[in-house]
Amino acid sequence: MFQSVDEVIAGLGKQKYLCNKNVATVVYLGTSLQKPLLVEGPAGVGKTELGKVLADSLGMELIRLQCYEGLDEAKALYEWEYAKQLLYTQILKDKIGEILEGAKTLQEAVDHVANQDGVFYSDRFLLPRPLLRAVLSEKPVVLLIDEIDKSDAEFEAFLLEVLSDFQITVPEIGTLKAKHIPLVVLTSNNSREVSDALKRRCLHLYLDFPDPEREKEIIQLKVPNVGDKLADEVVRLLHRLRKLDLKKTPSISESLDWVRALTLLNIKDLDHELVEQTMSALMKYEADIRKAHQELKSYLAEKQARRPDVSDDKDHLH
Amino acid sequence: MQARVIEFANVLRRNGIRVSLSENMDAFRALELIGIADPQLFRNALRTTLIKRSGDQKSFDELFDYFFLGIGQALDAIDRKIMEELGLSPEKFQEMLEQIQKLMKEMEGDLAELTKALLNNNRAELERLLREAMQQETQGGTPDSLRHTPYTRMMMRLGLDRVQSEIERFRGMLQMLGENGEDLQNVLRYLDERMRDLNRLLREVIQQEQRKQGAELRDSSQRGALADKSFSFYTEDDIRRMNDAVARLAQRLKNRLSVRRKKAARGRFDVKATLRKNMQYGGVPFLIQLDRRKKTKPQVMVLCDISDSVLNASRFMLQFVYSIQDLYAKVRSFVFVAEIGEVTKLFEEHDIQTAVETALKGDVIDVFSHSNFGRAFEQFHRNFFASVTSKTTVLVIGDGRNNYNRPNEWVLREVKQKAKQLIWLNPESRMTWGIGDSEMPRYAPHCHIAEECRSINQLYKIVDLIVP
Repeated sequence: MFQSVDEVIAGLGKQKYLCNKNVATVVYLGTSLQKPLLVEGPAGVGKTELGKVLADSLGMELIRLQCYEGLDEAKALYEWEYAKQLLYTQILKDKIGEILEGAKTLQEAVDHVANQDGVFYSDRFLLPRPLLRAVLSEKPVVLLIDEIDKSDAEFEAFLLEVLSDFQITVPEIGTLKAKHIPLVVLTSNNSREVSDALKRRCLHLYLDFPDPEREKEIIQLKVPNVGDKLADEVVRLLHRLRKLDLKKTPSISESLDWVRALTLLNIKDLDHELVEQTMSALMKYEADIRKAHQELKSYLAEKQARRPDVSDDKDHLH
Repeated sequence: MQARVIEFANVLRRNGIRVSLSENMDAFRALELIGIADPQLFRNALRTTLIKRSGDQKSFDELFDYFFLGIGQALDAIDRKIMEELGLSPEKFQEMLEQIQKLMKEMEGDLAELTKALLNNNRAELERLLREAMQQETQGGTPDSLRHTPYTRMMMRLGLDRVQSEIERFRGMLQMLGENGEDLQNVLRYLDERMRDLNRLLREVIQQEQRKQGAELRDSSQRGALADKSFSFYTEDDIRRMNDAVARLAQRLKNRLSVRRKKAARGRFDVKATLRKNMQYGGVPFLIQLDRRKKTKPQVMVLCDISDSVLNASRFMLQFVYSIQDLYAKVRSFVFVAEIGEVTKLFEEHDIQTAVETALKGDVIDVFSHSNFGRAFEQFHRNFFASVTSKTTVLVIGDGRNNYNRPNEWVLREVKQKAKQLIWLNPESRMTWGIGDSEMPRYAPHCHIAEECRSINQLYKIVDLIVP
């Protein structure tokens, strides 16, 4: 576990995840108070990544539960393996016959079977899903519940019990209590407001797009062979793009993809005809791409205006 | 510190941020871990434990500044100013303070706490005294609260006259002692400054408190007022804030729909599917299959009047229509003044602002003509009536002011017969329906629902009507 806020920054940094003091404080508090973290923010700022990196830096296993509409307990918690149970009864038919042998009346036969039913409702036939796995795990784990806002309100309510007591009741077996309280990270895109009851149990963290300097650091960390100038220009353009009203604002991971594409094509700055064509790595909607092209043009025009002499020089060099 | 945090939580609550007891306790536990030495960590710890909605972040930051930094910042500024005015370095300043302290001990008689704090430059003490007085002031209003300004009341509470006389006495004593030269002059000036500072500080504190109170009132009342304000009186600023309300409305619509769809998804026992599914278990029905009810995708056709008479309302309504179109798969949107034009494509391709502005600018239809509902309806009948089906909800938004043209209410009659629902939303008060050129009395009987929709609150109610 982390001992201080600075340790969090260092630990996550080792996994190539740069975070500011705010994020680090929340993570530190979450791990020390053993409270779930609820991470909110626009798509693509690294919410899920935070959960993964946290697991890596603490050397814990990551158990991930992806939420979606219609996700129910059977998918999240546990399921009985019907087919296996059936198969076993088929194979063990003779044995069952033996058990029933002595029985004279139907009542007695049922009693005999009833004595054995524990065999069929045991761990052997229990198919653990992410939540149960996190609870049963021998070692402490990080439980990442991704996009909680996509799940239904009922599932969220069900989650309350699990998150506050870290125990799960299976009617046929009994209550299973967590050996280690897992470190829970919930992420939400805010497509639905998560209920207050759940929020109360969590520490809240709002992740936003990083400021230009940090984003540049991130780009340089993840794409080591990117030129300083290109990184600088990309970040500046990105921040302008994010101010536009787009269907989907470019996320950090998309901008990394884009920078990778640019470096692969050996592009050194944005005054390149190929830049426009690679923008599809950044934007996913036709209308957005069109807007981005315009923004790129005006950006380049402004740049030109700022230092006309420099670009002239470059023409001579060609 | 705990008392301060609790007090802060109360301030948050008064500002409409929900803070529960357990969250308060989390905050304490967090502070135990983090400590209070680093202001940034302190702020982060409080934020993550107390604030759970991203929308509340801004209010939190504002209130945190007022609450924890308010007086401290003012004190900082004053310290710097004194040093500057006396032309002393921080070390010299400290020296002088020590000197004063020594003198104070020699002075007989008890000094008031405030005097001590002031002369010692004991900031924590000064802050505490001021805050306590302020708290008493806000909690228990004095009987003569109407006669005096907050400033004089605070002065009385702090016993400022006593402080004044004590400082005078101190001065007298200093002069009697007859210390010589520059040092004495500096100390005397320091005393003068301090007295003035106290006044300034007091004013600052009162102002901050008023701002804090103001912030409390401002937010909740403004949103409430906006919800009841009629569309026609909206200013640009209101419209911008309205976008947020529309988004929330759309979200609400969506939530309601998803609940309903889910309820509808469970059907009756399906024998065939159950048998098929359980073949793998030797025909033993382990898994029960229910038939899925057919999902009816809602089809909506929206006709929105964008004539000058309802300009603000229609701008807002178009935003609403845009959100609806985002929500449902099959929405066709039309705008009309004297002619009708389809804007479905426009809304699909552009973002909300451009789409609404384009629709209002007159690129689709002529917006400078006089409204003619009759003609627009006739055109709708001719061109689009075929796409009205028994599943369609038709939504008409307009004031029904027809400029004495032919009303053509037969169109609505036919639409009502064919469509699932016909709803008319009128941005005019119901009282004025039928007065002048309003044709509402003719149109309304042909609608399943004809409602006045003049404000966001009414719209909320109507959403409940439309989506039960």
